[in-house]
Amino acid sequence: MSEFEPKVVAFLCRWCASAGADLAGTSRLPYPPNAIPIRVNCSGRVEPQWVVEALKAGADGVLIGGCHPGDCHYVAGNYKTRRRVYLLRKVLAELGIESERVRLEWISATEGARFAQVMAEFVAALKRLGPLHGNGGAR
Amino acid sequence: MRAKLAVYWTGSCGGCDVSFLELGPGLLDVLSQVEIVFWPALVDAKRQDLERLPPRSIDITLVNGVLRTEENAEMVALLREKSRFLGAYGACAHLGGVPALANQGNGILEAVFGPGFRPAPPFPEAPEDTPPDLLPEALPLDEVVPVDFVVPGCPPPAGLIARFFEAALSGGLQPGQVFAEEKALCEECPRVREERRISRVLRPHEVLPDPEKCLLDQGMVCLGPVTRGGCEASCPKAGMPCTGCLGPTPKAGDPALALLSALASLVRAGEEGEAAFPEENRILDGLVDPIGTLYKYAFAKYGRPLRRLARRREEVRA
Ligand code: SF4
Ligand code: SF4
Ligand code: FES
Repeated sequence: MSEFEPKVVAFLCRWCASAGADLAGTSRLPYPPNAIPIRVNCSGRVEPQWVVEALKAGADGVLIGGCHPGDCHYVAGNYKTRRRVYLLRKVLAELGIESERVRLEWISATEGARFAQVMAEFVAALKRLGPLHGNGGAR
Repeated sequence: MRAKLAVYWTGSCGGCDVSFLELGPGLLDVLSQVEIVFWPALVDAKRQDLERLPPRSIDITLVNGVLRTEENAEMVALLREKSRFLGAYGACAHLGGVPALANQGNGILEAVFGPGFRPAPPFPEAPEDTPPDLLPEALPLDEVVPVDFVVPGCPPPAGLIARFFEAALSGGLQPGQVFAEEKALCEECPRVREERRISRVLRPHEVLPDPEKCLLDQGMVCLGPVTRGGCEASCPKAGMPCTGCLGPTPKAGDPALALLSALASLVRAGEEGEAAFPEENRILDGLVDPIGTLYKYAFAKYGRPLRRLARRREEVRA
């Protein structure tokens, strides 16, 4: 009987979070390989509809990674995303979907270790929540 | 030759049937060009009368209401078989409408009738007549039968009803047609958009809005940016935010998520930055009942897939 492995879609901004993920890779930091990364120019580009589409299409959780406050390459994209995610999580909770399945994190280009840690924490949290779809492919 | 017309109601408030009167004298023109073959709100006819009609013998059928019972589903299947063109008339048939907000809850009957509620035991022998069973979910028309066209609205506004009959009675009905604009309602709204910043989110009873300015700019949750035009912005003109009855524009997609996105973009608590986060959250908390507000009419079409996922998990756990 194999353990449930959560599927994660990670929208990572090109200037910070995605660079952080690359650094985690080139530094050979171990972290769970559960995420399908999607690079976007800015976290502010991530539409709530994409997040919901990912959940509907089979993801157990969605990570959005952006620059730290004050560091967004487009000045305020991450602030907009923070407000959107705040509302989206409320809507999900009302629909009966745990809001923890959508996570927003600030990860800078130098924070490879932080990316690895965020992934480990998120995957652990999703394992506790269990699969969103069916039995999550566990046998 | 007069066009054969049928109008049928499923889970509906009756407003759609009344809405034809909005045509005023124009209704007389319409009536002179049609033969009503089935319209329970107007003329006496039974299901058996409908069953006796040959297939595709009705030229145009308009169905209003959400599909809520087994009987609703059977009747629209029968109407589909008997009709050349069948359309969704009104927000409930189009998107599920207000009654489809019932899809939010589990155990809706228990919620209404109390914790001790049990369905009555089956009769020992089949009774002559019983109410039909509820469908597991309240559904828009196109979830059960193919739909040729849509006359949207809650109820459809006079201008769009007129536009529909003009097309239908001149033989110009196109498959897939939606009798409303593809452009957003904001484009036909006379209110002035300028301060694109919101420092509070208000419900209609909490504010007497400025008569000229955009309601969204004043903090009211107006679905104008994501809703099809076609009603001449009748609600915003009267000081009420649009609740989205004509359905989302093709560009908007899921209207609730699209408006949520727009609303979050406009909210400001002074200078943006980490220090403003708590106050921004407090403003966003002003959006009470996000499902009922943002998905007022479109929940069955757009919110239901996620709700269904959640419900399946709840059932597995129980
Ligand atoms: S009041 Fe509503 S419909 Fe009119 S411009 Fe503002 S958002 Fe658009
Ligand atoms: S303003 Fe909005 S809610 Fe009012 S009639 Fe028009 S589309 Fe419907
Ligand atoms: S560029 Fe990283 S959040 Fe905007």
